[in-house]
Amino acid sequence: MMLPSPRQTVLSLFLALCVSGSAAFAEMTKSLNINGTTGVIDMPSGDAQPDATFSFSTAIIGPVTRATLSFQITPRLSGSFRFQTWQDWNTLFPADPSKFQDRSFDLRYQVLTEGRYAPSLTIGLLDFTGQGLFSSEYIAATKTLNDRVKVTAGLGWGRLGSYGGIGQPFGDRPPLAVSDQGKPNIGQWFRGEAAPFAGVEVKLNDRWTFKGEYSSDAYTLEDAGRGIIDRDSPFNFGFEYQKGQNVRYGIYSLYGTEVGLVFHLVLDPKTRATGGVMGAAPVALNTRPARSVDPEAYDEGWVTQPDAGPILRANLAKRLAVDGIIVENLAYTANTVQIRIRTGRIDAGSQAIGRTARALSHVMPASVEVFEIVPVVNGIGASKVSMRRRDLEELEFAGDNASLLRDRVTITDAGPVPSNALGDEDLYPKFRWSLKPALVISEPMKGDVGLRLSAAYDIRPGLVLSGSVYKPLFGNVDRSGAPSTSALQPVRTDGSRYSKFGDPALERLTLAWYARPAENLYSRVTLGYLERMHAGISGELLWKPVDSNLALGVELNYSKQRNTDGGLGFDEYDYDVVTGAVSAYYDFGNGFVGELDVGKYLAGDVGATLSFDRVFVNGWRVGAFATVTDATSAEFGKGGFDKGVRFTIPLNWALGNQSQNTFGSTLRPAFGDGGARLDVEGRIYDSIRDYHTDALDPEWGRVWR
Amino acid sequence: MGKGLAVRFRSGLAACVAGAALLAGCGNDRGEPSPVGAMVGGLAKTAISKVRSIGKPQAAPAVTPKLTRADVEKYGIPLLRVVVKARGADALVTIRETKGNVVTWTTTDGTTFALNDGVLIQTRGLGPDLMSASVPTVADLAVDQGSHPRSYFFLGEDDRTQRRDYTCTMAAVGKETITIFDKAYETLHVTEECIRAEGKITNDFWLQGAVVRKSRQWTSPGTGYIEFEKAVD
Repeated sequence: MMLPSPRQTVLSLFLALCVSGSAAFAEMTKSLNINGTTGVIDMPSGDAQPDATFSFSTAIIGPVTRATLSFQITPRLSGSFRFQTWQDWNTLFPADPSKFQDRSFDLRYQVLTEGRYAPSLTIGLLDFTGQGLFSSEYIAATKTLNDRVKVTAGLGWGRLGSYGGIGQPFGDRPPLAVSDQGKPNIGQWFRGEAAPFAGVEVKLNDRWTFKGEYSSDAYTLEDAGRGIIDRDSPFNFGFEYQKGQNVRYGIYSLYGTEVGLVFHLVLDPKTRATGGVMGAAPVALNTRPARSVDPEAYDEGWVTQPDAGPILRANLAKRLAVDGIIVENLAYTANTVQIRIRTGRIDAGSQAIGRTARALSHVMPASVEVFEIVPVVNGIGASKVSMRRRDLEELEFAGDNASLLRDRVTITDAGPVPSNALGDEDLYPKFRWSLKPALVISEPMKGDVGLRLSAAYDIRPGLVLSGSVYKPLFGNVDRSGAPSTSALQPVRTDGSRYSKFGDPALERLTLAWYARPAENLYSRVTLGYLERMHAGISGELLWKPVDSNLALGVELNYSKQRNTDGGLGFDEYDYDVVTGAVSAYYDFGNGFVGELDVGKYLAGDVGATLSFDRVFVNGWRVGAFATVTDATSAEFGKGGFDKGVRFTIPLNWALGNQSQNTFGSTLRPAFGDGGARLDVEGRIYDSIRDYHTDALDPEWGRVWR
Repeated sequence: MGKGLAVRFRSGLAACVAGAALLAGCGNDRGEPSPVGAMVGGLAKTAISKVRSIGKPQAAPAVTPKLTRADVEKYGIPLLRVVVKARGADALVTIRETKGNVVTWTTTDGTTFALNDGVLIQTRGLGPDLMSASVPTVADLAVDQGSHPRSYFFLGEDDRTQRRDYTCTMAAVGKETITIFDKAYETLHVTEECIRAEGKITNDFWLQGAVVRKSRQWTSPGTGYIEFEKAVD
């Protein structure tokens, strides 16, 4: 007499929904084009995706493939990262390599949303900070005529102004100087010939859509330039098939001669694929008998029993182990208990806190009125959540119990470990190890898949000796072993040499010490082989009050570049450098977190890094960063300066299992040695923020989950 | 690190290398299991659940209706029949705990339903759960007419608490005789129509005096309505 496993049933229900595609669309889908941005077929449209949409698109246009990652950053602003490959690049120039690759960034902003009569209007930049092979600017307007037909018209410049031009409204388009490649091509924006484009979308039924367009792209590069596409016509048309809410396919006739195929995977980070937070119900809260009914239960004599502490701690550890929560230590008086926990596999701090409170309600004698729960990260307390047991008892079944409880809970600095805390002799010292598959990216789009053997020895709270050895198994890294031609010290561009010669390699071997020097202050010192290319010492100090949106940090490192063989030596490069940065972190609310670092980088260059991430309560994270230093673009290479996008997808979002595991990557259009930061493990901000109010409050509802 | 530990480590490592290290990963570091392993496990589960859902009709399994009064009473414990249409689930659940007017019923695999005098206030383990609710009392329901507020709280977009406030109006449908596992009950059928600007839900209750014998109550946007039948008191 049990329900079919709720997780499986709900999962299968959602899968069924996805697979059968039976979901009805109230309005026409804001569909993507073959460039992975909102649009018709090859042309952009005035639409925007729903807020936070994260999409991955792959398109094949004859010999050209385009893979694009797009993110709707805000309801109006979106960004894309594209990886484009041209096959048969040597058709006209046999001396050239057979294929050519380019990476580009787009930005688009919806100026007007669609109204009853007014169309939506979007202004956008394609490939605005690359080599300029795909550079275009456009304005596009889209109007939905009824629930089946949508029309788009626009004006393009650059590539999108290369066919059927109507003149140069804003003057000549200057060529992009080689030295300006990789920087925003501001001088070219909306310059040169402008050409109109247009498109129509007709929704045939819930699954099928017909699209047709008149393209303003002459494909000059592919046709006249390289002879790989024979462009005959400006007209494109084809069909798209929507499979559920997440998948869309398209097949088109392009430019009279080519067949185009596209696949879109469209994800909504805000909505769990499983429909909700999965996992079995928590244990019930244990309610104490009223003091008037059973005054004996409230007797405080238990405190003097010598074996009370170990028994209580063992009972708590046993109850919490069910949820993967580990009890670091326990301190109590007759009226107050402080428990320090590692949250383990539960992905929300508030849920781990709620489960801990439930366990305390069962284990602690009735006289204990105040629960103090301290989440511990890297051996140091991240915050202290204090609640009254009576409030928990009163609110367990109340409407809106999460908000009501939050009003009565205080979240403060963790403070020092109480002097009467009872640790667990099984936790320290403790040896841990694991062997796992791992991916190592050596340069953009090149990396190795291999095995990583990691081990750690927890000496005492906050002090850990750890290391890892990596054995690459296969990958596409350049195996020539040729040294980098970088004008700067090859602090990063020799990455492929480390992959070639370091097989296997000692990646890390460090002694790390985390501490709380004072209230609101967090520190880290890491000594040893910090990363596969550099070794030395790294120190960090962070100021972050638990309820502050602002955090300030300072980092100072001294490092030497390691030998490429993954061993212990330093004689190959004879390069050492002092680096460091002053950092400011700010939580803008609604999940937008910014970081500014100003300092000196590994190649000795001085500059600043600005990064911006959208962090979702459920663990999704999508962001971008850029570093500008005094290294010239010639020194840096093709990219001009270091920049990229990064994303993290929590596996439990998709699968519903209890886990903190994530899938993610950092994508760079190009890379050089400028703006490189030491890749040291365990930087403080991200690890403690999860337990501060800016991260706990949005997810606080899960305290009762 | 003692000798014993080192030996265990080595044999563990050997087993690990020999085994499916590539896919699952291994180690004693339970804090962070292998992502690939987790994914493979998860996908396997997904595949299984897919097969299961294909193998049986979407309608509720016909297990419970076959049960007779004697079957449900032989356990000698209170039983509640729960039908979750959205999940194709039909089950008998047992009491986990009683606290004042609130009875929490549970399936054997840890999905719970908390009802305050028969009015649903919380679920856990369904996924799209009802996290909490402000609900009327049975006395509010056992009236021919009258209105009251009702509020629901769920974990909505991005796991943030989402609130829905309704104004509800009671109406009596009339006396009805209902049968639950071969036993007939004389009840008063009332409906509670709840309205807010964005939409409307309707809960149905079959009352036997102050006892909710049967009900059909809205739970959450993802779960929809759940039917409850108090089979054994």
